[in-house]
This record gives sequence, C-alpha cells and structure tokens, in this order.
Amino acid sequence: MESTVESTVAIVTFRDIFQDEAGKKSKFADEFRTLAAQVLLDKQDMAKLGWKDGQKVMVKNDVGSVVVAARTSGDDPHPGLVWMTASPWSNQLLAEDYCAGEKPWAGITATLSPTEESVTQISEILQRMRA
Amino acid sequence: MAICTGCSLLCEDIEATIKDGNITAVKNLCRKGNGHYQALKTDRTKPMIDGKEVALDAAVSKAVEILKNSKNPLLCGWSNMTMEAQAAGILLARKLGATICDTSPTCQEDLMERIMDGKIPTCTLDDVRNFADTSVFWGSDPSNSHPRHLSRFSYYPRGEKRQKSYEEERICVTVDVRKSATATLCSNYYFRQPPGGDAEFAEAVLAVLDGKIPKVGDKKRMIELGTLLRKTEYGVIFPGPGMLLALQGKMDLFEKLVAKLNEITKFKVLPMPEHCNTRGYYQLMREQTGFINGVSLRGGAPAHGPEQRLAAAAKSCDAVLAVGSDPLAELPLATARALTRANVPLIAIDPHRSLTTDAAKVVIPSAMSGLEAGGTALRMDGVKIAFEPLIKPGKPDLLSDEQILARIMEAI
Repeated sequence: MESTVESTVAIVTFRDIFQDEAGKKSKFADEFRTLAAQVLLDKQDMAKLGWKDGQKVMVKNDVGSVVVAARTSGDDPHPGLVWMTASPWSNQLLAEDYCAGEKPWAGITATLSPTEESVTQISEILQRMRA
Repeated sequence: MAICTGCSLLCEDIEATIKDGNITAVKNLCRKGNGHYQALKTDRTKPMIDGKEVALDAAVSKAVEILKNSKNPLLCGWSNMTMEAQAAGILLARKLGATICDTSPTCQEDLMERIMDGKIPTCTLDDVRNFADTSVFWGSDPSNSHPRHLSRFSYYPRGEKRQKSYEEERICVTVDVRKSATATLCSNYYFRQPPGGDAEFAEAVLAVLDGKIPKVGDKKRMIELGTLLRKTEYGVIFPGPGMLLALQGKMDLFEKLVAKLNEITKFKVLPMPEHCNTRGYYQLMREQTGFINGVSLRGGAPAHGPEQRLAAAAKSCDAVLAVGSDPLAELPLATARALTRANVPLIAIDPHRSLTTDAAKVVIPSAMSGLEAGGTALRMDGVKIAFEPLIKPGKPDLLSDEQILARIMEAI
C-alpha cells in the first residue's frame, strides 16, 4: 500500500460473532452498525496512511460506496488487504457475479480515502436499494 | 432440553427455564444463540400493507392477490425455517409456477451436490467427535460462524476414540486469508493464503502427498503438513465460504485432493452452511425437483440454469415472496435493487423487522422456528433434528411459516 491519502485495497469479508449476535437482536440498532460498518487494516498500513482507530473512510468501487470506521486488525502483516464483516455495508461493494462459478474470487477491489462524512446508516443503504 | 436454531449446528442441549409462558433463564447458548433467543423480544414484525399496520387476514389476502396476479413470481429465502415449511413452499411454487431460490452463495452448491452424489465422502458431526484426530478448517472460522463447533464436536470433546482429545489426540489446521479466531487457536498449523490462492495450496498439498517438493508456500511447513495428513487416522475438512469462493470452478481439484487423501487414510468433508436449515432445503429441493437450488417450476419439468439463479430471477420476476431469510441484508447491491424494483410487489414473511420487511409492500409476521414453532430441520451434516415449540407465540394469532404458506396455498 502506498503512503498516499487514497489507497487501493482488496477487501476480504469474514464472520464476526459479536456482529452476528447484534444482528440477530436488531439490524437497526447502533450496536449492529458499529460492529458492521468497519474496515480493518494492517497496523503498518494504518501508520503509513496516518490514520488513527476510528478514522472515517469512504470505501468505494465500481459497484458502490460506503462510509465506515477504519480500525487496526491486530492480525498483521496483511499489507494492502483489509477485512470487512459480511454485512449490508460490505454488500454495497460486492459485484453481482462474485459467486457465479466462473473464476476464483480474490476479494473486492476498492479504494479507501479519509472523509468527514458520517458512517453510512442502514436507512441510507435501504434507500439506495430502492432508488 | 431445548434446541437452538441460531445456526446450522442446531444445538440440542439448551436448558431453558420457562415460567408463565416466558423463558426466564437459558444455559449452554453461545453468544450467537444468545442473540437468537433474545430476538424473541426484539424487533418483532406486525402485519403491514404499504407500511400501515393491518389485520393478519388482510395481509395474507393481499399476499394472495399479488401472487395470483403474478405471471412470474420468485419465492426466495427458505434456509431459516423448518422442513415442513420448506415443503409447503415447494408445493406453493409448483402451484404458482414460480422460481424458487435460497440466498446462500451459489458457489457452495457445487460441493454440496458432489457430497450428495457420494463423489466426495462425508460424515456426521458425531463421527467427528468420536473419531476425528485432524480437523482442517479451510476458509472457515467456526469460532465466529458456528461457535460451539469446536467445543461440541471438532476439537475439545472427549469422543469414543479420542479420550485424550485436544491435549494429545486432536490437531486442527486452518487455511485462511486472515488469521481468524480459529486460526489463532490452531496456530501451529495455520497456513495463510493470498486471496484466491487456494487452488495453488491444494496443488501444493497434492505434491507433498506424492512426495514431491511443493511449488508454493514454505516448503518445510508444507512437508510438515503432508506428514501430519499422512499420519492422520480420521481427518475431516470443513470448507467455509472463503475456500468455496476461491475454488469456484475448480472443485474437481478439491475432489482429486480428497480422493488422494483417502488413498492414504480416511478423510471426510463436511460443509458448513450458515443458516439453520440450508441443508434441509437442499435435500428437499433435490428430492422434489431434482436440483438443490435455483429452480423454475413453471409448467412441465423443473428448469435449472443461469436464468433460475437468484441474481437473474430477481431481474425477471414480477412479484417476490421472501421467507426464512433477509435477502436485502445478505445479497449484493444489484440483486437487492432488482428485488425492490418499483413495479414488483414484495411480500415478506418474517418474525423480525429486517431490511426486506422494511422494503416490503406486505409484511406477514411469523413465529420463530425452534422457539415458538416446532418441526424438523437438518443439521449441517444432514442429521435430522426434530423439535417442539418451546413457548407459545406472544400473540395468539401468530402463525408458523408453514401455517402461513398453507393459508396462502389454500386461498390460491
């Protein structure tokens, strides 16, 4: 990952028991959003970008975009690779044919850039679907 | 004992205390199961049409009207409900000439079909507990996805032939892009892969099993892995979504690897679907339509192909019934958009408020399977688990998914 403000990364999604528990109770609660709307970066990448835990970042690709909080993964080294939980937030970036059986999948390509915007709300995600 | 329908482990050892028709205490739930049980009291749905609360009968009647007027309905979801409800759904799909799909990633179907065809050997979770000495978590992280997998079956328990268990007799291996919670536990045998690198890893394992030097990975560690696999008496591979995505289109290679392992020793494969009754849905669909998922029952013989996949069917349908899942929360943006097109009425049957119920024209509340409604489901390994309702639904007119589908069927 280059030491620039915007970074191109590959996103790999994962399951998180805390998010799953929160989602079973309510997908509309702050607890679920806080746990789901995150992107986890390698510690060195965070340092290079000059980001601190909680930095709001716009994650964007050809499919869509979301604003989430950047956090350190605690699982380094994985330069240029970031983790997001499988959730309505990561689904905004997921290509329709990601699982079409044509070719091996190597993560979601996207760019990260710092933003002053608020973390995307679940209501906004729903509005985008219905737009 | 009660059951937990929070994931496809369907844990049967849940101790629930019930007083005056309410659950007052529960033991043995994992964190995910705890969320599932707490959901009895949170975000419950009410019958709605166009966002306004109506009587249940009115919501059911509206759903019937929509489905009757539809020429090409899509019935999707199905994996978080009983087999009885799934069977009622397949009957309804036949009656309507509908396309029927679940919301699981399609890439898990290839492996499941090979297992159901007997091309890849499988076993039960009880076999894992009793006999397995090596568990390989490949692209899977049960500590997060199926939290009691390790404690009930694959690592910690003392099974019939594994009395010394994880202290001496069980080893777990993880193959994953990220060092997951399960990988941290199995750190001696954690093999980090680049995204999409699983095919090369499979080739490397085949090479070391053939006594050759692997082309990728740390050669010394790969040879150690080969030695471990050769020494294994009863091994089980638990493929997860990471592996299934990375090996899509290359499942022949995985089948070849499993066949090679079985030339040397005994190795089984046990997929880990997430939802509580995905396996039951696949089995019923296969028995009744000949295909495990993505089938059109419009006239004549069941049709299965790219056009019947959820992504395509969502674009061509003129009405949607979503039940036993929250497709808008689980699917890529483009498919979610197709399901919520302005001129396509969406009916949602769900115990809980979800993205799908918020977008639906008609919402029909249902009882929670396993807690408020009884029936049967297939655990991830295909073992049938029957359960009675633990409590009566909070409202007297709250119906099970099966009852709602039967009422719709009757009216149609």
